[in-house]
Amino acid sequence: MNTTSHIADLFKNKYSLLSFDVAQISISREKILRGLGMQLHDADEYLLDLIEQSVSVAKEMLDAKGGYIVTDEFSINIDSHTIEIQGMMFDTHKQVTLLLKKSECLIIFACTIGDEIEKESKRQMALGNALEGYIFDLIGSEFAECVAEQIHNEIETKVAKKDLKVSNRYSPGYCNWPVSDQHKLFSVLDTANCGIKLTHSSLMMPVKSVSGLLGIGKDLRRVKYKCDICTDKNCIMRKK
Amino acid sequence: MDKNELLTKLAECVEFGKVNKAAPYPPTMKGQDGADELTKQALEIGIKPVDILNDALIFAMDKVGEKFTQKKIFVPQMLISAKAMNVAMEHLKPFFQSGEVKRKGKFIIGTVSGDLHDIGKNLVAMIVEGAGWEVIDLGVDVDAAKFIVAINENPDAVVGLSALLTTTMPNMQKIAAEIKSQFPDVKLVIGGAPVNDEFRDEIGADGYSPDPQSAVAYLNALVA
Ligand code: B12
Repeated sequence: MNTTSHIADLFKNKYSLLSFDVAQISISREKILRGLGMQLHDADEYLLDLIEQSVSVAKEMLDAKGGYIVTDEFSINIDSHTIEIQGMMFDTHKQVTLLLKKSECLIIFACTIGDEIEKESKRQMALGNALEGYIFDLIGSEFAECVAEQIHNEIETKVAKKDLKVSNRYSPGYCNWPVSDQHKLFSVLDTANCGIKLTHSSLMMPVKSVSGLLGIGKDLRRVKYKCDICTDKNCIMRKK
Repeated sequence: MDKNELLTKLAECVEFGKVNKAAPYPPTMKGQDGADELTKQALEIGIKPVDILNDALIFAMDKVGEKFTQKKIFVPQMLISAKAMNVAMEHLKPFFQSGEVKRKGKFIIGTVSGDLHDIGKNLVAMIVEGAGWEVIDLGVDVDAAKFIVAINENPDAVVGLSALLTTTMPNMQKIAAEIKSQFPDVKLVIGGAPVNDEFRDEIGADGYSPDPQSAVAYLNALVA
């Protein structure tokens, strides 16, 4: 048996759709504060209460879904900085291509938290409550990241049973990988798209959605994301 | 309360974000009248709307902006102050409409076609409005034609374009070109996560601001 079918054995179906247990999804107030340009010691009780209340309201609005496919039909081309997946050429660029080169299987995923939190954010903004609206938006973003993290964790746990590792996850639109490749990604994902729609300009709807790619293999590593490798100096999530 | 006392109190409400009497924030001003009530009272005792605007509201927002730049306050306080300011401005609306009071200028803003992001644009709109500008918000997915109609109606306005994805930056470029070809004198300012000053230069826009505060600084400099 070759390695890749060995990995594929771990996944019952080529496509997997996941739904999430809300109780498992938690976010730290520090993350929300960072989006507001603050650290914990900058915040007063009023703000901390507001964040806490908003998080519990938002939790009730979560409609988290995720889907992924696992494939061994791919080839990684280090010279042209591309990855071909099921006949589709992805312009993944140097960094992502190199980091995935030891993959034995690839996972392509997308996930979303639904659009209720986004609607609540817009409703608050329309009422003139910009702070409340912005906090809901930040919570939505954080939940979306959280859901992506859970998919990643689930796959990591699954493959660990066969002594395999996962890489970090990479998304179109980051590390010079053009966001327009979203169209190819969604065509590979096919029915595992969990209802996310892609606009002509590659925007996923609901907005609070994340898509990406990760590798599985013996010689891969998942490392903590570090801000210093990113060039986005204005990023609201940048650790100061 | 005499005129000066009232204006000082109103300015405090805006500076510290006391929106109205019922508002729980800030806890130290609990149960007191807020920007809403005090603006009404100020008009009732005959204070001129222009004095309310300049000596209390804009005066306070300038202080807020200054404190924000000095990192003495953060985004939340800034947004609460802007809300207090905008609630007060509601009472002044009739005087803006009659032309008795003038704002600093007009600012048309929209997220460019193909892009549906609005949180960043909305924050900019709110803070710019709070700084004493009339804001005409065209919403999201706005094409060149819609911007042109708005500029035709408000030829002296400054125009702001927002985009959050690299895929919609070409649309920003097209819209900028179209606006500039029809209205070469209209000032264009751009913003949004993927754009920068280099891109501004490339598309012939006049200003780039990474955040609402620098957008206000840019706009205020135009009318200074
Ligand atoms: C939070 C976040 C997310 C969240 C929520 C996203 C959302 N759209 O709501 C999640 C995790 C879901 C996400 C997903 C994705 N994201 Co994202 N995300 C971010 C992040 C970290 C913050 C964005 C944010 O909400 N900021 C807060 C708001 C208030 O800021 P803002 O909109 O930028 O507006 C401020 C300024 O820009 C300015 N401004 C805005 N407009 C205007 C207009 C004028 C006239 C002026 C003067 C100023 C101005 O003032 C505003 C207030 O301060 C940014 C990185 C960053 N640099 O900020 C990336 C970023 C936006 N994401 C990016 C990408 C690529 C993605 C994904 C495509 C990744 C993927 N494949 O899954 C998806 C796309 C989602 C979709 N629906 O299609 C890229 C987009 C650029 C690109 N390459 O196209 C960014 C810039 C990261 C990067 N450096 O590459 N993302």
